[in-house]
Amino acid sequence: MQVAAISMAGLRMNSIEKYRSDLSVLIKKSGAQLAVLPAYSSIVLGLSAGALQPAGDYNILFRQLTGSCGDWNRQFLDLHSSLARELGLYLAAGTLIETDFGHHFHTAYCFNPGGDICCRQRQTHLSGYEREIGLSRGEELRLFSINGLQAGMVIGNDARHPEVGRIFALLGADLLLHSGALEAGFNCWPQVAGMWSQVQQNQVWAVEAQLKGFIANRTFAASPAIIGPCEITPGQSGYLARGYPETPVITAELSNKARLEISQKYPLLKLLNPKAYSALLQD
Amino acid sequence: MALDGWKEKLYQRYLVWICRPARIAGHLQTSLPEPGQPAPVNRRRIRVAALQVELRLFKDPLDYADDMHRRTREAAEEGARLVVFPEYNNLPLLGLLPGIEKMEEAYRKKEAGNAGGDKEEDISLTEVFRYMSPAVQTLVHTIFSKLSAAYSLHIMAGSYTLADNGDVVNRSFLYGPSGELIGSQDKVHLLPLEAEWNLKRGSLFPVFDTALGKLALPVCMDATYFETFRILEQKGADIALLPIADMQEYNYWLALRGIWPRLQESPIYGIKSALVGSIAGLTFTGRAGIFAPIEITPERNGVLAEVEPYDREAIALADLNLEALDDLRRNHPWRDSNPALYRRYFPGIYK
Repeated sequence: MQVAAISMAGLRMNSIEKYRSDLSVLIKKSGAQLAVLPAYSSIVLGLSAGALQPAGDYNILFRQLTGSCGDWNRQFLDLHSSLARELGLYLAAGTLIETDFGHHFHTAYCFNPGGDICCRQRQTHLSGYEREIGLSRGEELRLFSINGLQAGMVIGNDARHPEVGRIFALLGADLLLHSGALEAGFNCWPQVAGMWSQVQQNQVWAVEAQLKGFIANRTFAASPAIIGPCEITPGQSGYLARGYPETPVITAELSNKARLEISQKYPLLKLLNPKAYSALLQD
Repeated sequence: MALDGWKEKLYQRYLVWICRPARIAGHLQTSLPEPGQPAPVNRRRIRVAALQVELRLFKDPLDYADDMHRRTREAAEEGARLVVFPEYNNLPLLGLLPGIEKMEEAYRKKEAGNAGGDKEEDISLTEVFRYMSPAVQTLVHTIFSKLSAAYSLHIMAGSYTLADNGDVVNRSFLYGPSGELIGSQDKVHLLPLEAEWNLKRGSLFPVFDTALGKLALPVCMDATYFETFRILEQKGADIALLPIADMQEYNYWLALRGIWPRLQESPIYGIKSALVGSIAGLTFTGRAGIFAPIEITPERNGVLAEVEPYDREAIALADLNLEALDDLRRNHPWRDSNPALYRRYFPGIYK
């Protein structure tokens, strides 16, 4: 299966139509059957296109957004639903902030080639500032099917929490879709400590989309990557494809046969020792 | 073939005799310094050493003792307060077996597919480890008890495959600066090859409260699993002492998959010691090093020190700052916990 990770770099976002057109061209060129957009995609687009009210400070902006972007969220989801249908692919549309019974969540959506929502996943682990602005944690991890592969969505800070990848893997995931947004100015290592590490200890595939863009006074830039177990990637690096932060899209072909072979030859998950984990089962 | 004939029993007694404490201690005594008082511990600057040991066979336990002494002295002279030896630190002692070179040759041929010979003549490595266990256990305790006391050091003596009642375990040992055995750890996660050898895996992750902070001793493959370090973090471990013996050709990314990501997930310092070299068709590579969460390393890369060679003897030295670690844990920028999520999934997925 051909997959693509999109950074949003180079997309014209000052109008919804231009964004739709540019993203459509980019995805068509990639030949992907699955494309993944980064975290905060709805906010970057909403601010750029004038659908959301800007603020100079990131924290103020997020407080402002919680509970006030329902209309824009619907428009954003409709846009990506129609794109998935038109292009005939699975489209992980990135993330938005949504409110449910007074609680605010950072949520990712994926659409199937019919344009229907095939997964809605809330972020389950929050950073310090995400807790400060009043986000709540999701408490469920859902698998869904993409062309016969079992997939799970990993959002933002969840990439740094190995419980997420482990739960997905033991539920039967073949593939993780990561919508991420890391602040610019750091080296590559925080990113390696995220999805790359989760992939290696669970022997799954991951498509990692990282945001290239600005939100209020913060700049986001990290490298998109398509990751697999080291043994079945070039140079045993764990990377099938890896871009620069300004790379608009990267693509790779996933062979699940190769992945299954390595997990049979070196069965990491079968060598877990649950008898030793009682401490993890306590609060 | 079981090693229980009269010749084997006789030789086993000989091994125990040449490894007897009085002989080893008497030999070491001639070259050890007089034990002194341990210097006060500065929690902001604890120098530690990760040893990379090149595998070679010793025919006399006194030579092995001298080699362990040489490496300890080298670390002590650099100011180390904690010295970490590698996994399978008993493999050099296979040299005590007569004809081991021929056995090694036979293993190599077997690996290459030119086995020949009588299947009944095969002796499993597990049987060999079990056979040598009484001698090795005594020898190791004598050497590292003497060395740690003489240099007023904490020494993680590496791990050893030893008999434990009817089983064989891969066990690491920690000695304190008075020569006392502080504790041990049985490897909890086995390599597929070790599972084939029928090693018995441990089920506990003890943490030892010492003058240098809370120390834990996970063994090699234990660092492949995030669960190990989450539990150690929950138990308050400050430093994980990880002996490895990586049976693969060296590759930077493959080698990165162990302790480095675990320390990023669960903020603890980590000291990785490595056995390198070849024996019985098995090649070990690695780069010993001292690692930490990215946030408290100067280059923001999670590495405090790492040796350059992956196939030769070396030493990595670094200073650990336990107060910086405490501060990171108290004010961690991105760590979170979701007990409701774990309650929902963990009991089921780990069945």
